[in-house]
Order: sequence, then structure tokens, then C-alpha cells
Amino acid sequence: MSTTRTDLTTATGAKAPRRRRRRSNFTKKDRAVLFGLVGLPTVLHVLFVWIPAILTVLLSFTFWDGIGGVKNIHWAGFQNYSQIFSLYEAFPKALRNNALWLGFFAFVPTPLGILLAYFIDKNLKGSKFYQTAFYLPMVLSLAVTGIVWDYVFRTNGLVNSILGDTNSESAISWFGDPHKNIWVVLGIASWRHIGYVMLLYLAGMKAVDPSLHEAAGIDGASDWYTFRKVVFPSLRPVNVIIIVVTVIDSLRAFDLVFIINRGRNGLELLGVLVYENIFGESSRIGWGAALATMLFLMSIIPIMVYLYQTFKADE
Amino acid sequence: MSEQNLNGDVSRRSVLKGAAAGAGVVAAGGFLSAGAGAGAASAAGKSVSVGSNQSDPAARKSDTAWVAAATKAGFDVKLNTVDHNTFQNQINSYLQGTPDDVFTWFAGYRMQFFASKGLATDISDVWSKIGKDFTKGYKTASTGLDGKQYFVPTTWYPWAVMYRKSVFKAAGVDPASIITWADFIAACKVFKSKGLTPVALGDKGGWEAMGTFDLINMRTNGYKFHVDLMGGRASWGDARVQKTFKNWESMFPYQNSNTLDLEWSDAAQLVLQKKAAMQVMGAFHASIYTDAADLADLALFPFPEINKANRRDSVDAPIDGYMLSKGASKNAANAKALATFIASTDYANAVLSVAPTALFANSNMPASDNAFVRQQVDLVKSSKYIAQFLDRDTRPDFAGPIVGPAIQSFLKTPGDKAKIAANLTKQWAALPPA
Repeated sequence: MSTTRTDLTTATGAKAPRRRRRRSNFTKKDRAVLFGLVGLPTVLHVLFVWIPAILTVLLSFTFWDGIGGVKNIHWAGFQNYSQIFSLYEAFPKALRNNALWLGFFAFVPTPLGILLAYFIDKNLKGSKFYQTAFYLPMVLSLAVTGIVWDYVFRTNGLVNSILGDTNSESAISWFGDPHKNIWVVLGIASWRHIGYVMLLYLAGMKAVDPSLHEAAGIDGASDWYTFRKVVFPSLRPVNVIIIVVTVIDSLRAFDLVFIINRGRNGLELLGVLVYENIFGESSRIGWGAALATMLFLMSIIPIMVYLYQTFKADE
Repeated sequence: MSEQNLNGDVSRRSVLKGAAAGAGVVAAGGFLSAGAGAGAASAAGKSVSVGSNQSDPAARKSDTAWVAAATKAGFDVKLNTVDHNTFQNQINSYLQGTPDDVFTWFAGYRMQFFASKGLATDISDVWSKIGKDFTKGYKTASTGLDGKQYFVPTTWYPWAVMYRKSVFKAAGVDPASIITWADFIAACKVFKSKGLTPVALGDKGGWEAMGTFDLINMRTNGYKFHVDLMGGRASWGDARVQKTFKNWESMFPYQNSNTLDLEWSDAAQLVLQKKAAMQVMGAFHASIYTDAADLADLALFPFPEINKANRRDSVDAPIDGYMLSKGASKNAANAKALATFIASTDYANAVLSVAPTALFANSNMPASDNAFVRQQVDLVKSSKYIAQFLDRDTRPDFAGPIVGPAIQSFLKTPGDKAKIAANLTKQWAALPPA
């Protein structure tokens, strides 16, 4: 825009056609670069993300056991959806667990991560060590995390050994009790999520103009007050990322519970239900696709609403 | 039973199964890395490609052994071994793509399912030659819904009550005296009074307790009902299913309470460590016994009689073996020749040389001198009916994702058994037409 404006103000009328010509006058190299940087990723994106996603939505309205071609796919209308709501016992449990996961993540590990970032940013003694220590869990994949914590919380594991009862009958069953296991899992997932949020926030805070700090300090604001009223609002881009990450991480949760007990007995999650129905011999593609579609809508809608509002406010 | 193999290798039940696969895009098909069929036949050998899920080191050794024997017999076998869980998960796309001529699979419904989908080659002509080497039960287990044979059985293992002889001796219980349900409960009471868990059960994975369900169901209602129930000809809402659940419930006081917290191997450990007296398990229970003296102490007896009419006439004894893919028809002569070889004692002896506790379907194999193996043979010989296993006898989209969690609910809240059965009925009805 700025070049156009300059042209309009400085150029004479005679130069106008040249301007138009220049716009479409990409060199061969330009075109190649454009295609390489924009066209190719777009083609790949559409091919490997959007087309399969749209096909998944279409498949959710069908019956298909994954065998044979299109002629074996039968139209089901909304039957998969209606039966998932009316019959599928695991579905309400999974929905509840995913909602719990999201709520818990939003109110426990995310604020804790921000708090940690706040303290570490104050350059306390050994803050580099804490920073590394808190971020370390993030380096491990959730699958590894699951295995490690399984040893900690299994009936004859570390926690019960410390509590002094590893007798399989009487000891606390951390993963086997459907009232306890989801909280244990949320704790484990938080252990990982806190470090992630902390690091994102820390990176954001390093970028905050130090003069803002100084100005607030001169005005007599306390550290915490400065953080709340000056630093936090200036970190909006980071906040957006954290909210998106939190929503996505909560809804796509899969690995941890799958390692622990294949996502059953109190650990049902939508991601696991999708997997159980699609993969393996027991392909109920339509049923699984319907679950995947719902999961997709659940993740995309809140994020789109949030992003829309954020960027509208920015303009 | 999709998750163990015959020789009881535990490692195959890899906890990492599918860990990499998250929720998400569904339509993108999976690919199996197995090489395509029998191209480039060597001049000398009868070229056949074989897809194997025997990815564990021990199982691989068996494969290597029989392939070497097949090579000696004039075959040029191209063995494509794929990680066991990957093989199971990709079986649909594998069989529809360019599968190997011959592939490892399971008898029963899981075989019939692919046969009826037209993904297998009819080998009735092979059976007309090899039929004499197998008992009738094996032929039935290899027969598709259309009455033709699609499967070559190789090895098997039974489900029974596993126990340690020394534990029974110390408690003064004679295992041979446990015939009826009353005998069984009486023995349970003795063990309980001695501070032992009478029956160890782990159902964390959701499939382990299917074995107990199958056995109680067949003892209570007979083999025919089991088959009808699995095939959908009888309803899960049937009063007979409630009877099965009720009988099982009477065993609950003698079962450990944390069943959903234990894997089958955790429960088996309790028996090994003499903390529990018995476990209703497949013979792969033995695989956790690493010490020879412990292994010699291990024995089994048939699940007790519940209903006089059915005596102890049926047993779950899953059979593993091989099928010919639909693509094998292009290489039919060689593939069928290999199927004949796999059915022979040459195959069995080759496997036996590296897997001494394996049990073979071929009736010409000499009796094993291992006492535990002999008990298994006797158990199956004395059984009139041989079932596969709940998840091998019914629709795969019903067994794993629906019955598994239902049995877990029952173990948690047995009082809900009527509700659980009613829901199973509804879910069966909601299944898409097979």
C-alpha cells in the first residue's frame, strides 16, 4: 500500500499505466519463487489436509467397513451421529473427560506456567536451572511420559511404595479407579504443559520493552501490579498462542491415556474413540469419522471465534 | 486375543501400539511396507511371498526355521515380516492392496470375515489332500461361511485354570477333585481362608476377561449358545447371558478386587509369586515363568462344570495359521503348494526345533514329553467343542470396542448386568450391516 500511495502523490498521470503494467510483470524467477513458496505449500496443504478432512466429514454420513471401494460405502444419513449420542456409552464419558481436560488445563497448568514465568523472569538465583527443569518434561514425547509415570503410579510403583502399601489388593489403585485415574492423568499432563506455557511466556516477556517496566516502577507500581497491568496486556500475541495451544492440546489428548489403559475405565477421550473405531480390524469408518468430525468442530469453533475477536479488536 | 501370539510372547502386546496415531484425519489410507507378491520367480524354486506378523525375536526364529525347511523342499519363500500390531491394524488395507500370497492369520470369525469379503483364496482342494492330517475340529475352524476352506491351521493353545502344584499341595487341595462349580468354590474358600487370592484376574486391556466369560458361558449355556451369541443369532439381552453373568458374580468374592488395574501378566505374576492360587488364562500364562523349577511346578485343569448338560465339553483354544490372499490366485499353484507344506509335519518339526513348547494342529506330530504341554493336548482331546475366543468368534467391530468395555463395566459394577446386556443388544442392532 505504501508504494502505491507514494506513486499517487509523486507520479504524474502519465505514469499510471506503467504502474499497472509493473504489477503483473513478474519475472520468471519471481514466479518460480512465488510458486515455490506459496503455490507448493498450498497445493500440499489442500491435498493432504483439506481434501482428507472434507472426505472424513463425508464419510461420517456413511457406513463403511474400510473394505472395498466406493460401491461398498452406504449412505447412513445422520444415523452415525444419532447413534453416537443415543447408544455409545463411551461417548458422553469421553466428552466429559475432554471438557474436564480443557477446563483443568485452562485453570491450573496454564496460570501456573505464567506464574513460573513471572518468577523466573525476575532473574532469581538459579533461574536458568529452574527454567531447564520445568521445561524438561516437554522434551519427552507423551508416549514416553506415559510409560515413566506408569512406573510411578502403578499399584506396585513408586508412590505406593512411599505410602507403604504395594499389596495389589489393598493398595491405592491410581490408574484402575475410574474416580481417581483421570485426575492422576491430568496431573501428569499438567506436569508437561506447565513447562510449555512457561517457556512461551518467558520468551514473550523477554521481548517486552524494559522501559515499560521502568515507567511503571517510577510511577510506584509494585512488581505484581506491573505484571498484571502492563506486561500481561502487552503480551497479547503470546496469550493467543497459549489459548490456542491449550485448547488443541486438551482436545487432541490421546497418547497418555492410550499408554495407561487404552483409554478405558474412566479415561475415555474422543481421540481414543476415533482411533478405536477407525483402525484395526474393527473398522467402523463412518462411526469413527463422525467422532472425528465432532472433535474437529469442537477444536476449530472456539479457536476461530477467539482469533476473530482478537484480530478484530486489533484493527 | 489380537494381542498375543501363540508362544505367549508378551512383548508383542507393545504398549506403544498406536501411540503415534492421534486423533485426526481419517481418510488418508495406511500403507503396509510389505513387498508385493511373487514377481521375479527364481528359476529353480517355487516362488511364494509370505506376509508374517511374527515380529518378536522368538517368533521370528520360528519363521526362519520353517522358511529354511521350505527352501529345502524346493520353495523360494519371500518372507515379509511386519511389526505385529502394525500388521493387525493395517490388515484391511493390506489385503486390499498388493498383499503377499500367503499371510499369517487366525481361525474362526476373523478368518470368515475376510473370506466372505472376497479377500481370501479358496483352498478346499488343498484340504482334500491335507484333511487326513487334521481332526474334524480343525477343518471346521478353517471353513468359511460358504462351506469352503480358507485357512491352514498350524499352532494353538487352550484356555484353562492355571495353577502351581506346590500351592495346591500346601493348601491340601487336590486339583483332580475339582470337577463341578461347587468343588471349585469350595477350593476357592480354602485358599481364601489361607490368605491367598483364590482366582487372579486382570482385565486392564479389556480382552483378558473375555476368556473367563467364554468359559462360564459355555459351561452354563453350552457351546451352541456361545456360537449363536457370537454370530448374532442369539441376543445379548437373552436371559441366558444374565445366567452367565450371575454365575460369574458368584465367583467375585474369590477374585481380586482390582481387576481393571492389572494386565493379564500382572495377574499371572500373582500366581507365580504364590499370592494367588489360580488364573483362568491361555496357556501362554507359562511365558512369564522364567525359572525352570517354577515352570515344572505349573499345571492346569479344565474349567469346572456348571451345568450338568454341558459337562466340561467345550474349551477356548484359539488356532493360528495361514490364509491365501485373493492375489494368490495369480500364483495359485505355488501358493497352494506352500499351504500344503505349511500343513505338513515338515513345517511343524522345523518350528518345534526352535519353539519346544509349541502345540501343533497336525495330528501326526508326536506327543511332547513336556508335562504341561501334554496337559494341554489332553484337555483339548477330551473336549467335544473347540471355540476360538470371544474376539475371534464375533464381529471385530463389536468385540474390541463394545464387548471389552462392557465386561469391564460388569467387573466394576456387577449389579448393572441387566443394563449392560441391554446396551449390548442395542449396540449390536446398531452395527452397520456386515
